Amino acid sequence: MPRKLSIRIDGQYLYASEGQTILEAAYANGKPIPALCYMKGLAAVGACRLCLVEVSGVNRLLPACTTAVQEGVSVITESEKLTRYRRIALELLLSERNHYCAVCVSNGHCELQALATRLGVVSVRYPYAYPKLSVDATHPRFVLDHNRCILCTRCVRVCSDVEGAHVWDIMSRGVNARLVCELEQAWGQAASCTSCGKCVQACPTGALAEKGLAVEEMAKRNENISQLALHRGANR
Amino acid sequence: MNSPTLSEPRLRPQEQEFIDRLIVKYHGSPGMLLSLLEEIQESQPNKYLPMEVLEYLASRIDVPRAQIYSVATFYSLFNLKPQGEHTVCICRGTACHTRGSRSLLERLKLQLGFKEEDEEGSADKLSATTPDRRFTLRTVACFGQCALAPVVEVDHAILSHVNERTLEREIETLRKGSRKA
Amino acid sequence: MRIVDLSTFNAAREAGLAKLLPRKPRIAIGMGTCGSGNGAEGVYHAFSDAIDNLGLGFQLSRTGCFGFCAEEPLVNLWLPGKPLLIMRRVRQSMVPGILDDMAAGRVPSDRVLCKIEEWDHITAGMKYGAGFPEIPHWHEVPFFKGQKKIVLRNCGLISPDDIEEYIAVGGYQALYKVLIDGNPGAVIEQIKASKLRGRGGAGYQTGIKWEFLRKARADRKYVICNADEGDPGAYMNRNEIESDPHSLLEGMIIAGYVMEATQGIIYVRAEYPLAVHRLTLAIEQAKEYGLLGDNILGRGFHFDIQLVEGAGAFVCGEETALIRSLEGKAGRPTPRPPYPAEKGLWGYPTNINNVETWYNVAPIVIKGPAWFTETGSPKSPGTKVFSLVGKIRSTGLVEMPLGTPLKTFVYDIGEGGTEDRAIKAVQTGGPSGGCIPQEMFDTPVDYETLAQIGSIMGSGGMVVMDEDNCMVDVARYFVEFTHSESCGKCVPCRIGLDKALHILNRFTRGEATEGDLATLDELSRMIRDTSLCGLGQSAPNPVLTTIRHFRHEFEDHIRAGRCRAGVCEELALSPCENSCPLHMNIPRFLQLLKEDRLEEAFESVVIDNPLPASTGRVCQHPCDDRCRRKAIDESVNMREVHRHIADSIYFSDRFDALAAKVASRCMASTGKKVAIVGGGPTGISCAYYMTLLGHDVMVYDSNPEAGGMLRYALPEYRLPKAVLDRELELIRRVGVKFTFNTKIGDEISLNELDALYDAIFLSIGTWKESWVYLPGTELKGVMPALNFLEAVAKTEPVALGRRVIVIGGGNAAIDSARTALRMGSRVTIVYRRERKDMPAIPEETEAAEAEGAEIVFLATPHRIVGTGDGRVQAIEVVKTRPGEYDASGRRRPIPTDEIQRFDCDTVVLAVGETVDLDFARASGLKIKDDGTVEVDRYTLETSRGKFYAGGDLITGASNVSNAMGYGKKAARTIDQRLMGVRRWEDLFPEFEYSLTPPAHPSESGRHTVTELPAADRARSFREATVGLTEVEALEECSRCLRCDIRNGNH
Repeated sequence: MPRKLSIRIDGQYLYASEGQTILEAAYANGKPIPALCYMKGLAAVGACRLCLVEVSGVNRLLPACTTAVQEGVSVITESEKLTRYRRIALELLLSERNHYCAVCVSNGHCELQALATRLGVVSVRYPYAYPKLSVDATHPRFVLDHNRCILCTRCVRVCSDVEGAHVWDIMSRGVNARLVCELEQAWGQAASCTSCGKCVQACPTGALAEKGLAVEEMAKRNENISQLALHRGANR
Repeated sequence: MNSPTLSEPRLRPQEQEFIDRLIVKYHGSPGMLLSLLEEIQESQPNKYLPMEVLEYLASRIDVPRAQIYSVATFYSLFNLKPQGEHTVCICRGTACHTRGSRSLLERLKLQLGFKEEDEEGSADKLSATTPDRRFTLRTVACFGQCALAPVVEVDHAILSHVNERTLEREIETLRKGSRKA
Repeated sequence: MRIVDLSTFNAAREAGLAKLLPRKPRIAIGMGTCGSGNGAEGVYHAFSDAIDNLGLGFQLSRTGCFGFCAEEPLVNLWLPGKPLLIMRRVRQSMVPGILDDMAAGRVPSDRVLCKIEEWDHITAGMKYGAGFPEIPHWHEVPFFKGQKKIVLRNCGLISPDDIEEYIAVGGYQALYKVLIDGNPGAVIEQIKASKLRGRGGAGYQTGIKWEFLRKARADRKYVICNADEGDPGAYMNRNEIESDPHSLLEGMIIAGYVMEATQGIIYVRAEYPLAVHRLTLAIEQAKEYGLLGDNILGRGFHFDIQLVEGAGAFVCGEETALIRSLEGKAGRPTPRPPYPAEKGLWGYPTNINNVETWYNVAPIVIKGPAWFTETGSPKSPGTKVFSLVGKIRSTGLVEMPLGTPLKTFVYDIGEGGTEDRAIKAVQTGGPSGGCIPQEMFDTPVDYETLAQIGSIMGSGGMVVMDEDNCMVDVARYFVEFTHSESCGKCVPCRIGLDKALHILNRFTRGEATEGDLATLDELSRMIRDTSLCGLGQSAPNPVLTTIRHFRHEFEDHIRAGRCRAGVCEELALSPCENSCPLHMNIPRFLQLLKEDRLEEAFESVVIDNPLPASTGRVCQHPCDDRCRRKAIDESVNMREVHRHIADSIYFSDRFDALAAKVASRCMASTGKKVAIVGGGPTGISCAYYMTLLGHDVMVYDSNPEAGGMLRYALPEYRLPKAVLDRELELIRRVGVKFTFNTKIGDEISLNELDALYDAIFLSIGTWKESWVYLPGTELKGVMPALNFLEAVAKTEPVALGRRVIVIGGGNAAIDSARTALRMGSRVTIVYRRERKDMPAIPEETEAAEAEGAEIVFLATPHRIVGTGDGRVQAIEVVKTRPGEYDASGRRRPIPTDEIQRFDCDTVVLAVGETVDLDFARASGLKIKDDGTVEVDRYTLETSRGKFYAGGDLITGASNVSNAMGYGKKAARTIDQRLMGVRRWEDLFPEFEYSLTPPAHPSESGRHTVTELPAADRARSFREATVGLTEVEALEECSRCLRCDIRNGNH
């Protein structure tokens, strides 16, 4: 049994287990810190920066998903500054690619959309990039739409760490970074793909979806994937 | 899709052997994948990593194909397209920038006849080859030759304190020079 | 040869010493990449061939770089028993001469930079010999003064290709000592006590990092050298490795031993082929000598070093990214913790240090921590190597104690700016650092202080920026860099930098708004506070520091759509146009004249500049400085071309028709009444444009005629009144009205103007001479320059003596001197600074000297000596010497004890002029501390409604073109305010002319005016120069490169 630690989150005294991250402790206690790249069961990468929190005694913001709890630590998960920064991060994500909710299969089931609503992002102050991106519908059952991808890499991790296939990775860098299938092959031609569909279920937006669905029909079942991942110990 | 060379034949046996030897040389050492890709690219006549080479390499080492591709596209040294006969590389380091390297770059783009759609990457992170494959124009973050700014590297030779006129002449000389057989 | 004990070690040392101090003359060529880029290869081969051909038994070798890059190639010469000589800028052609001198035991007469009698290699001393008293010691050369070479102890003095030379100067002694002592813990204590901080930028304590790794328990540990130097503008690591690779190896081997690692890795940039080559060779040699590999020095310690070439990714300077790269992945950083010391390469404990950190290890081991902490500041001991580059005279690598103030780097070592440009800022720390403005050059360079002011030490890049650099462009440049180097993993860095770049691009295109500045500021803070790794966290530093220290430049881009430095091309037609205070379309009139369309050329000129013949004679011509033709030969003589165009029309029968044509451009009457106070160049310009815009304009002037300074301060020989009168005739024909002999405050008050007019523009000149505090100014024979010039212009009698002293270095001083010469006096000008600091137009100064004026530089008046009856008898001046650089980038004159006396009967004071502001004070206009009227910089509105001000009134004494620029700008803003719409652009007609860049611009050199012979002109007020001939003017037009044409569009 891991040791119990006493911590404070937003002023509330709570218990956490040694080895837990701040985010895990917060979730266990019903504190939903915003996050997009985090998925239970997968190795945390600290990429979306939405789960940044203020930790007592540390003068910079720390990602809750990769910071372990320590005895006596006091964590602030919501403040004016955190909310402001999280809104900026969401605005940045929304302006990076082409997120048209009204025509998206994941409309109503999208984590990005849900967070934007929750944090009150009503307008985007940054110029939209409107990149010209493709849709890969070569796979018989699934479809990849780069226009909706937020590069959270949940698909990359679930494929390599849970399924063991490593079909996906990220190519190029900076703002040109993109999800890539093998050697930039069409998904339908990827020899390493087992068509297990875990990537689709792990995807927080409509970037990866099942084929043949209409607007609003793609609800993800990533809880199952998380259970499987934990079972296989993928992040340890 | 990045497969400009699909119609070319698969790897010749010598090339396969060459790659196999490299794999043995670097097996298990840190930086293996980088070193492999660097040496393979250098051995190619057009200084790039053709798809079939990546395919072959992936089949011989225990690295997922997607990871190889991720690496080959992440580092600016690697080219996935054939490079020109001459490579002109303009330093965009700070010292060169403060001494006018951007206007050199703009001038050269004009001289070599590039249009925006030929260029890869952003305005300053450039790698473009002329359609006749005579020239590749690239930028580099910094050559570390800041005291000689602005600096341009032409076919691996450093030109220092370059101005538009000298660069123009240099390119003209190369252009008039005989084509490689 | 394998070193296994002291005797084999000593044998290697002796072998090395025999190479460094042979029994014959020795020549060593500095062959780092910069030396080679400057021709060192050719010099080496020239020496090699000549030595062979002449049968001289000289020893020839290659060394690394001694750091003075601006003077490359550097060559070391040594004659047995004599000091080592360092030669600068050696060319192949000089080789035979040098060899002759050496063979004869002589010092070459030219290009000897300095000598070294003995050298402290820290790990050992080296005595070359004494002599050559006439040659300065190395530390007496400004560039080297104050440098302390610990890291660079061997660079440029030994061969990087020869391990024995390294051993000869104490190399591998520290390793030997550490292995013999066998007490790793003690070494770590030494490093800790030295407080050595990581030289890669973050400045973490090296000893503490080492202790972590030593304590980590694992069956494998790695030691990594980060040589992925990627900061643009920094190249010290390249030079260190190229010049002295063994010091790096030794540091790593010692670290490997004390931390119980078995494998070392050097991750080096692939862009540094020479460094890779020399390191590879050094590793082989170290193995051969038993200093690397198995059973090192026979002590049973195994350690290997492997080289990995990075493949071009700046982010790999980030330690976690570098480790991922070594693991065969893309270089995307991972969150810390876990730190590399716990879980590094492939999960094994790993230590990473920067190249330069390793170079400090052997000296600390040999000399001890107490010695190390003697240098530098308490929190940041030791030295740091900086690459001093950019707009600075002496560029190169300098190693200075930490805590040295920035100004020492810029002004003492770097010897100030290039081409007499004022230095504006220094950028430290590369793309992660910030811009430090000139006012803050007292800042000591250490980790904490730089961080406090928003910059960082980084790897030690120092890029000097001057007035030709646009700080908005600098911020944009760095963001463009980090944007393209962002790995793309985390949201703020990947997307945030893209948006920041987008916003900055709006600035450089002149499209930005105040809101953009606020958005940029907030976004930058968010990126800084939320990014995953150091790249993103520090990428906004250049933006945040430039917004903080150079906010006015951002505002210029927003509100005026101007880039003063002329860097943001979209904001300027061409460099000449941008530099012109009147923003004349210079390429257009050059092209029109070239196309033999004189009348249209005149129309083009006169719509941009209402006084082209006057400015064509007296303008300071900033356009000359910016002309791109300078890169080929000399600038196009634009000023003289428009003088030629104006003169050709003014004094021809085409004048009436063209004047009528210009007047016909007047817009329909607006019914608005505008008063202009001051009929000088500022007022006339404003009046001209306001009249063209359809307003009813009245100019008030206290003098009986128009022209202000042009008429009453500029002597006839520079600007003949006949020319001025002709220009003013055109102004009158356009419809400008004048009321003369009316002084503001006396004859008419501001309140009266307020009641009568819709807008009032104040454009009074600086007619009041600033009076220096000087004993004797009450004496008869002391006069202010402007009073003197005005009296001469009005042909009033002036009591000028035979012997005249003029105090000052501006145009008024030179004008006074040349006028006095013409009146038959002997003239001496006394100026407190150096010639290059004179504000006067250089041609004018030269002309004055040619006419017989004497100039005494570096002298400031001490007192004026009078006769018993109160007349000037002599002046005493104190000689000065150039001191520290002041805010204008010029050296402050420091008085010495030396006093010089000049007998004279007249002293003309031309030490600066101010505006007589009594009228303004009385009517509630806000006046600034410096005695100028406060206005909005962009609209020229004063604190009082309806009142605008421009010219000298808001800038202090300036020059004709600047003054006219304000008049023109005032017309634009006043019209917009009066009419509520922007009508300015409608004033300017379109011209049809060629927009094809010349395939072959004329090869001809620059044409200048013809000066009358000095002897003739010095006694006459006739115009001293004759303008360009028609042929010459046409030639000048053909020399233009047409920078106004870009990418095929206009």
